[in-house]
Amino acid sequence: MGRHILLVEDDRDTAAYLQRGLAEEGHVVEHVQDGRDGLFRASDGSFDLIVLDRMLPGLDGLGVLRALRAAGISTPVLILSALASVSDRIEGLDGGSDDYLVKPFSFGELLARVNALLRRREQRAPAEGLRILVADIEIDPLARTVRRGGRRIELKPREYRLLEFLARNEGRVVTRTMLLEQVWDYHFDPGTNVIDVHVSRLRRKLEEGFDQPVLHTVRGAGYRLGATG
Amino acid sequence: MRASITLRVALLAATLAFAASLAVIGFIFWRTHGDDAEALRRQVVEQAAALADVYATGGAAALDDAVDDSDSNGDSLYFAGILRADGRPVSGNLLAVEAGPPRAGYRTGEVRLRGRDGAVEAGFVAHRAPHGLWLVSGHGFGERLSFQATVERSLLIAVALSILLGLLCGLLVARYVGRRVDAIAVVADRIAGGDLSHRVAVSGSGDAFDALGLQINAMLDRIALLMGELRMLTDCLAHDLRSPVGRLRARAEAAARASEEERDGLLAGVLQEADALMRILATVLEIGRSEAMTARSQFASLSPAELVEELAEMYEPTAEELGVRLTAETSPPPPPLDGHRQLLAQALSNLLDNALAYGAGGGEVLVFARPEQGALRLGVEDRGQGIPPEEQAEARRRFGRLDSSRSTSGAGLGLALAEAVAHLHRGELVLEDNGPGLRASLVLPALTERKAWGGGVRPG
Repeated sequence: MGRHILLVEDDRDTAAYLQRGLAEEGHVVEHVQDGRDGLFRASDGSFDLIVLDRMLPGLDGLGVLRALRAAGISTPVLILSALASVSDRIEGLDGGSDDYLVKPFSFGELLARVNALLRRREQRAPAEGLRILVADIEIDPLARTVRRGGRRIELKPREYRLLEFLARNEGRVVTRTMLLEQVWDYHFDPGTNVIDVHVSRLRRKLEEGFDQPVLHTVRGAGYRLGATG
Repeated sequence: MRASITLRVALLAATLAFAASLAVIGFIFWRTHGDDAEALRRQVVEQAAALADVYATGGAAALDDAVDDSDSNGDSLYFAGILRADGRPVSGNLLAVEAGPPRAGYRTGEVRLRGRDGAVEAGFVAHRAPHGLWLVSGHGFGERLSFQATVERSLLIAVALSILLGLLCGLLVARYVGRRVDAIAVVADRIAGGDLSHRVAVSGSGDAFDALGLQINAMLDRIALLMGELRMLTDCLAHDLRSPVGRLRARAEAAARASEEERDGLLAGVLQEADALMRILATVLEIGRSEAMTARSQFASLSPAELVEELAEMYEPTAEELGVRLTAETSPPPPPLDGHRQLLAQALSNLLDNALAYGAGGGEVLVFARPEQGALRLGVEDRGQGIPPEEQAEARRRFGRLDSSRSTSGAGLGLALAEAVAHLHRGELVLEDNGPGLRASLVLPALTERKAWGGGVRPG
């Protein structure tokens, strides 16, 4: 399950913390400290993921990203940045990154996003139209219908998209902000529990009349869809 | 630096004044100066040569005859005489040369003639004669030449005077300019020293210095206002962050003292407080960025109706849990808007948060996009208690609180952010009585009107 991750980060403490955490998850992490080295190491396209600090000595993160994309390297990039405003995030995403995480962040949030990016890369082949099976839930992306244990479950369009996103990340933690970004395409932190209410409503529809819970709350991190608790 | 500029101003003024006088002087000189003086010189030199011959052949007697001849011809200004080296006359009608003992060559100056009172201005030539004597002959200036000579002398004096006047003028201008510039510079120095209360004194004459002073004063007023706001913001930030930081600290302390089993739960609380704190900071940052107008580059055309419907859909489950009926009003459909979708959504979500938190008692919340004459209204209405007019300013102040018992982290920032987003879109945040309840709306200039500013509207 180990993946090859390039970490471009000039702050030693953050880098050591991330390297240790990602290594514990079984990933192989290579760490470089500045943008030029990062660009050099990344330019053969051999990594599964690049975690890129935005503010770096030498060449800054967005510069590295632009150079990589210009050279046709499509390795997924997760940008880390202390620049937290909505327009900074949009700028980062428009610059060609696949995800943008604001410092300070919890390791859980980073890990969830890293895993989602790695999974997205591996799933590029299984086409959008194929049926998704999670535990006893069956999702048909073409007809946008959902069945559990053979019984049809009626979902509103947003609930359906929420479920599909959770299902495409089966077994992995998905954070509230990831849901807001991916399902609603909003990049601000609402602060209140609007997302949680949507998830609990979806959970009611999925679990009413069934013994087995499938949509689990992971305390302090987010949600996970899967058979086992 | 300042001194050298004053000096330059002084020199320039002096030069200009001098040049102006010189132009007048030059003009007068050009108009009055003729070639009379040159003609006189030629005549005198020729006569002198002739007289020298007469004297050489006929002596003093022949010379006297020659002088008498010209006298009888009516030319009383003609003179010739023999002088000793010390200037005393020996013969002829020339009594004395005022300019001193004779010297060789053509000269002009005053001479005294026999039969004439006073000195006469004349051009004359002295020739060395035998026995240490001098033959001096010449011709007095006519009226015209005398006038010319007087004018030229006067002009020379005028040149000297104009240099003096120019310098005086330069000094005066320099002192005046220096004083006005200094008055402004002193204020600038004091401002640089940190005292923002000083202002440039304005003389009231409405001249360029006054205009400059007024502009500087306006700039200083604006800076002082911004500084005041900034100071208030930092004060409020420091003050309002105390309580969440305090709670964070208390929870961390409790976690440190707790038993193994309890610790996990307490640590989760610590993380929660830390997240809340980060949210406050993120919002403050967002307000600052919006007010700085940097996000305008990310403006794009968007549908206000879609935005409002998305947010209504997003908040519908939350409203339902609170027992509130949340509806979206998007008809008649407003025209597209050029704006920042993310920030507008965040502003609306803040207004919705507020409406649900403080207006839920009314049981109804409406989120709307209404086209108006030349404007678009995006906002939220509730049927709760509303905000009394006297407390509305407090409500939109960053960290303003209507109810000090409110414990929601970051409360009060929401309206400030909505206002900043409205400003970013060249609009305003308007709080109104909804009778009962509160209507909070972002009133934004319509797309067509904004296009018209850029001249993009074709005449129909």
